[in-house]
Amino acid sequence: MELQKREEEMLSGKHGSGLKKCMEILVAVGESYGAARMIPINSVHMAGNYSVMETEGIEWLEELVQGGSKVTVFTTKNPEMYDFEDWMEFNVPEDLRDKQNRINNVLKALGITLLYSCHHYLAGNLPRFGDHIAWASSGSGAFANSVIGARSNRDGDHTVISAAITGVIPEYGLHLSSNRKGQIIVTTDNLNLSGFNHADFQAMAWHIGKKVRDRIPVFVDLSPDTVIQNIKAILYSLTVTGAVGLVHFVGMTPEAQTVEAACGTNDIASLERISLTQEDVDQAYREISTATDQKVDLVIFGCPQCTIQEIGEVVDLLEGKKVHPETQLWICTSGWVKTLCKRMGYWEKIRAAGGRIVADIGAACGPYLYLPKQGVRVIAVNSARASYYSHNVTGMETWFGSTKECIETAIAGTWRGRK
Amino acid sequence: MKIRAKSIVKGVVRGEAIISRMAISFTGGVDPNTGIVREPGHDLEGKSIAGKILIFPIGKGSTTGSWQFYATYKRGNAPKGIINLRAEGVVAVSAVITGTPMVHQPEKDPFDYIKDGDMVTINGDEGFIEIE
Repeated sequence: MELQKREEEMLSGKHGSGLKKCMEILVAVGESYGAARMIPINSVHMAGNYSVMETEGIEWLEELVQGGSKVTVFTTKNPEMYDFEDWMEFNVPEDLRDKQNRINNVLKALGITLLYSCHHYLAGNLPRFGDHIAWASSGSGAFANSVIGARSNRDGDHTVISAAITGVIPEYGLHLSSNRKGQIIVTTDNLNLSGFNHADFQAMAWHIGKKVRDRIPVFVDLSPDTVIQNIKAILYSLTVTGAVGLVHFVGMTPEAQTVEAACGTNDIASLERISLTQEDVDQAYREISTATDQKVDLVIFGCPQCTIQEIGEVVDLLEGKKVHPETQLWICTSGWVKTLCKRMGYWEKIRAAGGRIVADIGAACGPYLYLPKQGVRVIAVNSARASYYSHNVTGMETWFGSTKECIETAIAGTWRGRK
Repeated sequence: MKIRAKSIVKGVVRGEAIISRMAISFTGGVDPNTGIVREPGHDLEGKSIAGKILIFPIGKGSTTGSWQFYATYKRGNAPKGIINLRAEGVVAVSAVITGTPMVHQPEKDPFDYIKDGDMVTINGDEGFIEIE
């Protein structure tokens, strides 16, 4: 790679051991992909929480701070393990709070904003069309590329932290227009999409991710009126089963207003096609749920964290109902949406029905570090992503279905969706 | 026989091959305490990748995979070397931060020439794979 003078200096260790380590990582990644140079970035988002970082990961960050590192680009952080305001209520064990304190301290020392949210693009970390950014968290990275039209690779945390500290990232992959062309056509005309709910879109995308692997899919016939919630459903599920960074939704993705614009120089007629069937969707449902026991200990929403609109829907579904005494209902969101819930009266309504709004965590990993010890084993989720990670990282037994089915489950205490 | 491949992380390492035709996610897919693949339905499910030369098409899934790979490595359960058909960011950076020799884009499909248990050398300095 050809480096600028300042980048060379960082690599040589002239500006400290932290910058040296970061530049080594970026150069190695750049060399792997044949990047010609580094380019400046203006937005960074870090993903890892304690359940994936573990103690070794905290130590890695602490070493970076000891090397004198600090971010030079606005950087936010994904959710963590528990609600920082209401942690007393949740019996969070002391060792996890100690680990969390270490994480808070090391991130603050690095200059990272402790947002603890995965809808950071709704909370101040909003790039523009064409911006070069470094977002870990594969779902939101796909959102940035596909909905906003900013440019991020599917970077891991070590890469984005290095980018935040140095201010640059290797120019390869999705940073280059030539690599953003559609590679595989997806058609949905065999499906009755008008009858699809949020969970059906996720099941559909689960199947697509497996077929697409790391290629760029082009949805040619999805209505540009498809609500953003269903677009998010596709993106956050597709990125579980596939290594997908960019999805072209023709008529919706800024650079893909037409199929031709989406595919560029790639010959559309010769591209592989995926024609989705209802059987693909049904099969995905069977793969996503992992539980057999009908009794559900916890119904949990928020992967990605619930928006204020989604919490409003839950409030409506709970109207006049009570959550079963042996089942918990958690609605995970960001600290700022929780504040808004209090203002809107949602907080009181959900508590009165026997549910909880929990800030600073997502439904995928964090809380399962302490919930199993409190007797939580079988959970119901409205997120395929949460099902995959909570099952595979922390061993939860999962049921997956729509928000409505999950709320009915919370009221009945047993699973009310597809089996 | 030798197969040329592009180097991602330098270093030379020899070990027993374990081969998968499926993409791997290090978050959720592999247990850091044992190195055993735990993704239901994966073709390596129940098998350990610890100390092996791990051959698989490509990474997938969460970008937090490099943390889990790092923890797996620190606990002595990471693969010794990695061969990918095509590298993607999460696996590449996992190899970089742990100094695990890694090559990708082999000139011949390794699935045609390598089977589980074969002794394989990754030469990340010169960019080739050698099968005994």
